[in-house]
Amino acid sequence: MEKKKCIPAKLPPDIYKALEDIVGPEYISQDRAIVECYSKFSVDSGGTLKKHFKDPSNIPACVVLPGTTEEVQSIMRLCNRHGIKVIPFTNGMITFNGPTTPDPTVCIHVSRMNKVLEINEDTMTARLQAYADYAQLQAEAMKRGLWNGGSPLATTLCKLSSQSAFAGIWQTDHKYGTLSRNIVSIKLVTPTGDVLITGSDTVSGMETFWEYGPGPDLLSLVRGSGGTTGVITEIVVKLHAWPGGEALPEPPAGRPCIQTYMDAKYDTGPPPKRHKLLWVEFDDLETEIAALRKIGHAGIGAGLNATGVYNAYYCSQTQDLTLERVKNKFFPPYNLYVILQGTVSEAQIAYEENVVRDIIAEVGGTFLSDQYKPDVLYALAPWNLDCIRHVTGYRMNRHSYCGSNILGGPVDTVARKTREVWSKALNTFGETYITDRGGMDDTPFLYSSNHSGRFWLTEADVYPDMTKPELLQRGQALVICGIINTIADKYGPGANGLGVSIEPVTSFMPEVGPKAHLLFRKIRDVFDPNGICAPGRQIFSKAEYDAFPEEVLAGLNKMRQMHGLAPVVKGD
Amino acid sequence: MASIKGELEKIVGSQNVLTDEPTLKRYAQDQSFVQPRRPDMVVFVENVEQIQKIVRLANATRTPLVPYSSGKNLRGATIPDHGGIILNMSRMNAIIEVDRENLFAVIEPGVTYRQLQDALAPHGLRVMTPFGIVPERSVLTSYLERDPVLAAPSFEDGNALIMDTELVLPNGDLFRTGNWASGGRPGAPNGPIRNTIYRLWTGSQGTLGIMTKMAVQVSFIPADRKIFFIPFEHIADAVEPIRRIQRREIGTECFLLNRFNLAALFAQDWSVPNDIPAPPVRSEDFALLRQHLPPWVLIIVINGPMRRTQEKIAYEAEALQEVCDILNLELREALPHVPGAEQVIADELLRPWGILKKFNFKGSVHDLTFKTPLNNLPNVTEIVTNLALRYGYPESDIGMFVLPLERARALHVEIDLHCPSAECSERTMVKELWLTASGRLVDAGGYFDRPYGAWAPLMYGRAAQYTQMLRKLKAEMDPNNILNPGKLCFA
Repeated sequence: MEKKKCIPAKLPPDIYKALEDIVGPEYISQDRAIVECYSKFSVDSGGTLKKHFKDPSNIPACVVLPGTTEEVQSIMRLCNRHGIKVIPFTNGMITFNGPTTPDPTVCIHVSRMNKVLEINEDTMTARLQAYADYAQLQAEAMKRGLWNGGSPLATTLCKLSSQSAFAGIWQTDHKYGTLSRNIVSIKLVTPTGDVLITGSDTVSGMETFWEYGPGPDLLSLVRGSGGTTGVITEIVVKLHAWPGGEALPEPPAGRPCIQTYMDAKYDTGPPPKRHKLLWVEFDDLETEIAALRKIGHAGIGAGLNATGVYNAYYCSQTQDLTLERVKNKFFPPYNLYVILQGTVSEAQIAYEENVVRDIIAEVGGTFLSDQYKPDVLYALAPWNLDCIRHVTGYRMNRHSYCGSNILGGPVDTVARKTREVWSKALNTFGETYITDRGGMDDTPFLYSSNHSGRFWLTEADVYPDMTKPELLQRGQALVICGIINTIADKYGPGANGLGVSIEPVTSFMPEVGPKAHLLFRKIRDVFDPNGICAPGRQIFSKAEYDAFPEEVLAGLNKMRQMHGLAPVVKGD
Repeated sequence: MASIKGELEKIVGSQNVLTDEPTLKRYAQDQSFVQPRRPDMVVFVENVEQIQKIVRLANATRTPLVPYSSGKNLRGATIPDHGGIILNMSRMNAIIEVDRENLFAVIEPGVTYRQLQDALAPHGLRVMTPFGIVPERSVLTSYLERDPVLAAPSFEDGNALIMDTELVLPNGDLFRTGNWASGGRPGAPNGPIRNTIYRLWTGSQGTLGIMTKMAVQVSFIPADRKIFFIPFEHIADAVEPIRRIQRREIGTECFLLNRFNLAALFAQDWSVPNDIPAPPVRSEDFALLRQHLPPWVLIIVINGPMRRTQEKIAYEAEALQEVCDILNLELREALPHVPGAEQVIADELLRPWGILKKFNFKGSVHDLTFKTPLNNLPNVTEIVTNLALRYGYPESDIGMFVLPLERARALHVEIDLHCPSAECSERTMVKELWLTASGRLVDAGGYFDRPYGAWAPLMYGRAAQYTQMLRKLKAEMDPNNILNPGKLCFA
């Protein structure tokens, strides 16, 4: 590696002083040791590569920790007036391309705004500050017989405000939809320092209970905007009936301490009250798909997913065990699990289990049980609680995460298509890690996002070793290749079943929309006329588009041609 | 306008550009209180390319353009406030596809509820339908305008029913959302670039684009169902039962009707009028039923799916009985004085336009349609009732329909005021009552999320930042302000 110094940019002293006046000296820093901590998102391959290559643009010029919406407004107004770039930051688990911009950047870390402000049992809503997480919310809501409908697969420490930057996938999307369907209102400080509130809350004197309007739905522009429309300081989310008791059950062995977490017995908590998980294995993918479709049509269950190789990532307590289980095919290659929930009564669970058993008898499949592969069923126990609240943390990413190709659509087509796309990418660039082949020799990760099984998401992830730049670059190529292949085959907007895409894909895939980037460039101008907020992340301005490196464009065009798409020429 | 007419005739043919007086007069008004205004011409289109050309022509000539699908909006949304062209898409009425495996149908703007429901029935499918909808109303427009469907109490089955969409932007460009964004088959609603971007165009009354195609979710027709009635003397008594029933997620459809609307629905000597407004018709049934029916009735529908039909109905019915036992409520499977009421309701679940018989009462109906929290229901009801008394409007002539949304997180409330369709002192009084009540309801927490006509200033006057952002967006997307100008908060 070339030896060179990495010197981050600095803010003009008067700007720094003005920011200090807003938040107070204890809540701002440009100390190298501190800003370095904000120089990379935890699973951000672009940011990690910048570190490998000692790119100073990776390091923010300063970090500010506002405590109120008003302070965020003052910061935004100041930065907007002086053209200083800003990046909103919660706990840095997002997968976007780095927390900084090429210019001196102010990182706005909202960690002081961390409260669950209100649980409203009448309107079944919860109002949270930007840094409140799923664990906080669920702990408060479940005491009142309510919950928010799901948790992200990543970790329960994810913040709902930043999860709204994408879509927020849960293991219970089958019943509740993603987080996208569960936002009632947001309070957003726009890049110009104005406060935009969405939903009924935006009308003076009105309660917060309805997500739309008045008139056109501006929430649709903020949801999935990846932090480019401003800083969310509050989010109001829907709550639903929770039949599972005031607290989640403990594993029989109790909770592990840090030294003992590798022991599987700490991962064996039973499901919450009035919940039951059924695991089924199949001989092949076609049978599995048939079962998934029929269960979807039956309109039962709170969750309906097929997990494939993720079982090895998720339910193995050590890295060695993960690899051993993948190698030995410990978990059934074709499987599904259904989360049954008795909101109406216990009888609902009995009814729904009967329906699942009828369907499995029709299509052919075997339930994991105390009689059939009890060791496998025991090993799958971490899902029992983590399908509700991901109490065991960040298992998925214990190696490193580089990106995903997520397709959306009918179950059969997305299941087959993800295999096809991913096989092509792997055959072109090679694997970065043993688990990259997830879905190739077993079931792709499939999760129902609609209670009648109308549409599904499927996900293929890349897990390279973060310390090896070559693997990170290959991982990026794998993801981009998969995305372009997907679009070439007219699947998934932005090559992403979640519907959210980021640059450079957005501008250099003009087939999508068509030319969706031109519309979204206008929308960006409405929110951020001076282009200060996370610039270049989701939509390039014309100037950013023109300045895009030719050599990277050449690489993209090579892949486009590989998939039968005409090359993109700037200025078209 | 003469030169524009010539250009339009080149695009759609001269027979499809209408400027005769009777036609223009017909498009100048609906049954609402919105000020009539004649368009300059009415243009019938048959495909997306024609729409794109007309949008570009309208931009070049700065001519207002009002998207019009079936013309069954009863609240003035298609009255051309600034004149211009009515873009009539009623001939674009193809049901392009019904996908039974993946449970969606692809429709054009002119497809009506009656047409789609009839087409789906042989497949054992239904489209979720709003209560009291005009059967000839466009499904696409109705979904786009967020008309809540009868299944809306169910978070899973009665909400977020739009999937992929196609629209023409105000500059004439084509734009697609969902899987269509990449040119592929429909089947997922997300994207492009923003997760639920299609929602931007909901509730926009055609001011931000012209939707030309939509994939909508369809559902299996239940194999069987059981319908229950719970009568109440006072509306306040219904609040806790609705809360408990919905929080336990019992049933799919659930709605509350007052005596007036129940009598109108069950009156056998009234039929659904062909046109709205309608000529008044006397009804002995209606008069008799108003004497005998309970003041309020909550209707709960438990659906039995194809698998283990009766098992599902049984456990939900048992749970419903439990709730009623706790609250000491009478749970009925029939309504006294209305033999066959359960069958009437069963029919309404697929074709819920029987309540339109209410137009026979005086000819014209003016609704106050808003959303409010469950706890606020008695309050908003009392406000309208007291105002009605002050205006000399009989309380017994108020119609009410209450629909819990997403397990009663909110309520959709429709309060009807009746009057003759022709100008007269009674109509003037009802108009004043309607306007006053609208303002008072907003003061009391009534949220008009679809602010038609006079409701727009009531909402946007209290939402400065939201309004400012909408106006900026409109100016950026539609710089010549051609699409349905004068609606919502737009000039």
